[in-house]
Amino acid sequence: MAIIYLKATLFIFYYFFMSNQIEYKRDQEGSKIAKIVVDRDLCIGAQSCIAPAGATYVMDGENKVIVSDANAATDADLIASAQACPTKAISLYDKDGQPVT
Amino acid sequence: MQQYKYLIVGGGVAGTTAAGTIRQHDPTGSIAIISDEPHYLYSRIMLSKPNFFLGKIPFDQIWLRDESWYKNKNITFIGGRTVTKLDHQDKLIHLDDNSGIKYEKLLLATGTSPRPLAVPGIEKRGVHYLRTLDQGKGIIESVSTVKHAVAVGGGFISFEMANIMHMSGAEVTIIIRENRFWESILDETASRIVEQAIEQNGVKMIRRAQIDHIDGNINVTGVTLQDGTSIPCDAVICGIGAYCNIDWVKDSGIKIDRGILADQHLQTNLPDIWTAGDVSQFSDPILEEEVQLGNWVNAQEQGRIAGLNMLGTKTPFTFVSFYTSHGFDTSITFIGNVSPQKTSSTIIRHGPTTNQHAQIITVGDQVVGAVLINQTPILQALSKIIASNLNVADKKSQLEDPTFDLNQLTPA
Repeated sequence: MAIIYLKATLFIFYYFFMSNQIEYKRDQEGSKIAKIVVDRDLCIGAQSCIAPAGATYVMDGENKVIVSDANAATDADLIASAQACPTKAISLYDKDGQPVT
Repeated sequence: MQQYKYLIVGGGVAGTTAAGTIRQHDPTGSIAIISDEPHYLYSRIMLSKPNFFLGKIPFDQIWLRDESWYKNKNITFIGGRTVTKLDHQDKLIHLDDNSGIKYEKLLLATGTSPRPLAVPGIEKRGVHYLRTLDQGKGIIESVSTVKHAVAVGGGFISFEMANIMHMSGAEVTIIIRENRFWESILDETASRIVEQAIEQNGVKMIRRAQIDHIDGNINVTGVTLQDGTSIPCDAVICGIGAYCNIDWVKDSGIKIDRGILADQHLQTNLPDIWTAGDVSQFSDPILEEEVQLGNWVNAQEQGRIAGLNMLGTKTPFTFVSFYTSHGFDTSITFIGNVSPQKTSSTIIRHGPTTNQHAQIITVGDQVVGAVLINQTPILQALSKIIASNLNVADKKSQLEDPTFDLNQLTPA
């Protein structure tokens, strides 16, 4: 029991303090992409993602990208937006957790 | 002789985005990219980012496309080759190995090169430029052992590299020719905020100075200024601007100026030839002047638009691009055209805090560009104001007021 508790604590610690990734669920019908993940440590606010998929992203007060509507763009445009990022801060995953590129 | 339907000269973000865009819409037309670097597309932006430079991000993060991307999209990558001549009548590009490649449609996306510092001693080990991956690698290898670095020039490269060298523990001196940092674009207040941030971090600035020569035998041991002052150092980073290497097209009949001239569709004066990225000097329909911009998002978007137009569309390039540079806990952002040739005015929006500042640049009654210091939250609102061609004749007081929400000027 104690071990499970410790594991859970470590996981929460890692999730909130070590990794600065934010996940956004996507449930657009027929889409291969189920999740958009933005790594805030990598994002430098270049906004390259906004050109191919403008309706998906907005910038926050720290000039980091956040997903405002995960279902706004087509799969092709989302892939283009992830590929456009010069620091690879955006990752896309399917429903099984496999990367979509 | 090799022949491609779409031939792209330049393997950077403009050329690669164009190739990807073309493949999206033309699944079978042959595409080739010629690059003078041997590498697939990598992130030039990361080359001057501290997290990458100081090893906090794995080196491999720099690769933006791998071999499988080119293979799966059936895009031929011809790396490590330089183009030597354009013959538009025969639709032919000559390469440095005396081979030739024919094209049906051609994109010139050759970018810029760092302006060389023309002083004796420039060949010594420890003198760096930052443009290519291999140059970046050279600096990364030396960064941990550098004790005193000199950054030459008052611009993004100098600002970012001085910050990285400072973070790595080196003593840093910035040498600028001008009276203050980035005098040609920043106003006095903006320069002062940036200079204070630099100097408060212990980095020394020497103004109104030029290097006479670089000292040392094989390795750099210092620089000597024109007034005779010697500054010992073991690394010199040159960030004195960039130029377009377009000599090879001079006799081709293509119209050039500082870059390659193009209309608003990024098409040049020669048939079936387009240009994109840093090298393109395109006609801005709003400003009615040729504009050349050197930033990542501009190159990416121009690559996309040029790709679409090579496919046969007539898509104008109207994107408002921007670039933010970070260093010494300070950000400098350029949006749109910050140095229009036409007579311009500047609206100053200072504050709300003393280290925040914006220069909003107008031509006639329209905003065409902006320079922001520690003001990234208003980047998007200003981009929208520029893109919407809003008449701001009666909005000066709102633009000046740091407490006014600029989003209100461009309702969705």
